[in-house]
Amino acid sequence: MMPLPMREIGLLRLLHLADSALPIGSTAHSFGLETVADERDLTPEGVQTFLRAYLEEGGALEAIFVRRSSEGGALQALSEELSARKPARESREASLKLGRRFAELVNGLLEHPFLETNLHCCVAFGAAGAALGMPVDAVVLAYLNQSVAGLVSACQRLMPLGQVAASRILWNLKPAIVQASHAEEALCFSPYLELASMRHGSLETRLFIS
Amino acid sequence: MKRQDPPWKVVRAFALPASGRLVHLHNVSGGVLAGDRLELNVQVEAGAAAQITTTGATRLYRHRAGATDSEQHATFSVGDASLLEYLPDPVIPYAGSRHLQRTEIRLGCGSTLFWWEILAPGRLAAGERFAFQRLRVQTEVYAGPRPVLREDFLLEPEKKDLSATARMFDYSHIASLCAIQEGRPPAFWRTLEDQWNEIARARSRPKRAVWGASALVSDGVIVRGLSGSGCGLHDTLVEFWRTARLAITGADAVPPRKVY
Repeated sequence: MMPLPMREIGLLRLLHLADSALPIGSTAHSFGLETVADERDLTPEGVQTFLRAYLEEGGALEAIFVRRSSEGGALQALSEELSARKPARESREASLKLGRRFAELVNGLLEHPFLETNLHCCVAFGAAGAALGMPVDAVVLAYLNQSVAGLVSACQRLMPLGQVAASRILWNLKPAIVQASHAEEALCFSPYLELASMRHGSLETRLFIS
Repeated sequence: MKRQDPPWKVVRAFALPASGRLVHLHNVSGGVLAGDRLELNVQVEAGAAAQITTTGATRLYRHRAGATDSEQHATFSVGDASLLEYLPDPVIPYAGSRHLQRTEIRLGCGSTLFWWEILAPGRLAAGERFAFQRLRVQTEVYAGPRPVLREDFLLEPEKKDLSATARMFDYSHIASLCAIQEGRPPAFWRTLEDQWNEIARARSRPKRAVWGASALVSDGVIVRGLSGSGCGLHDTLVEFWRTARLAITGADAVPPRKVY
């Protein structure tokens, strides 16, 4: 009997966990984008530039934590540190909520309580990727790719951004995703987006929870 | 005060109306120069109350070729049931400056912190806006063993556009105020977050200033503001500070007497 191609299976399962359709509720969160769009500070023409800067800051920060998690870091400590680095409550709680649902899903698929359910999503994802035996770089890239895809999807619901244009934005952002994945320090300077998250609760009408 | 070395000088402590002492930190050299490494270590003993401010803005001067970047390291240890109000004047990075600012604050059981910070884009009156070379700001605040706020950002305007929407958008100044008391329950901070956000909405003016507040992961709240000028920042911070101080300590804030 042929041995199972574990590496290929691991890759497919990593892609599965990085699918934007993964049923963890990520489509309910804009992480402050809704506020920025509501105030007309983000237009379809500016989404690619906006996300490139986002990847250099918030994306790079999360990449660090995916990497540290995937390399065997203490998951609770990583999650607690990341909570301190996310001062905007809605975005912080959204990350933890997605992390909880991600962990519950993975534990259900594995039929084993592998992941703790009080971790930030990027930390849980890194640990799951490591458990699949995937190279760390691949895990970080997969996480960032799905994270950006989620933000582009949010933009499509917030402004007139069509499918083809959204696809082109994601295509064009691949170099920025790769660059963010190689971040070596946990740096992040994103005060306007952070403020947008803090002010999100004040919007008169909201499509998103965060 | 156990030790002071130039260029730091501590102006003698003044009694505050209710309790505690007000201390002014003075940099007698007039600014921070390339190669400088300034260290500030403050210990507020259990049960004590201290308000620390500066005598003027922290001016970061142009980098000198061959010198190391200037650095300022500040550590604060706030003892059990004590109060620290750290209210420095703005940091103004001059054109060509290169600087690292590192702040670590550790709060003991039941201790309280009010801390604000303002970063200016440069000497606007001289036409400087984000003309500095490099500014790195690292902050760590712990309530007991818990990290409640960690920030680490690197600003290099020539390499990364600070006016990007994901960064500062059209604004030039950034201000923050933290109100933290070790051990208070989360519901308290959600209430204060709501109160602060009411003020934030009232103080925000589209394209001129925008403010927002949030409960931290535990033990406190933060308010952040972006503004197109330094005017009005202190007044707004004082309003947030007074609201929080009354809610947390039962006593109104007493701003240091100075012209902002």
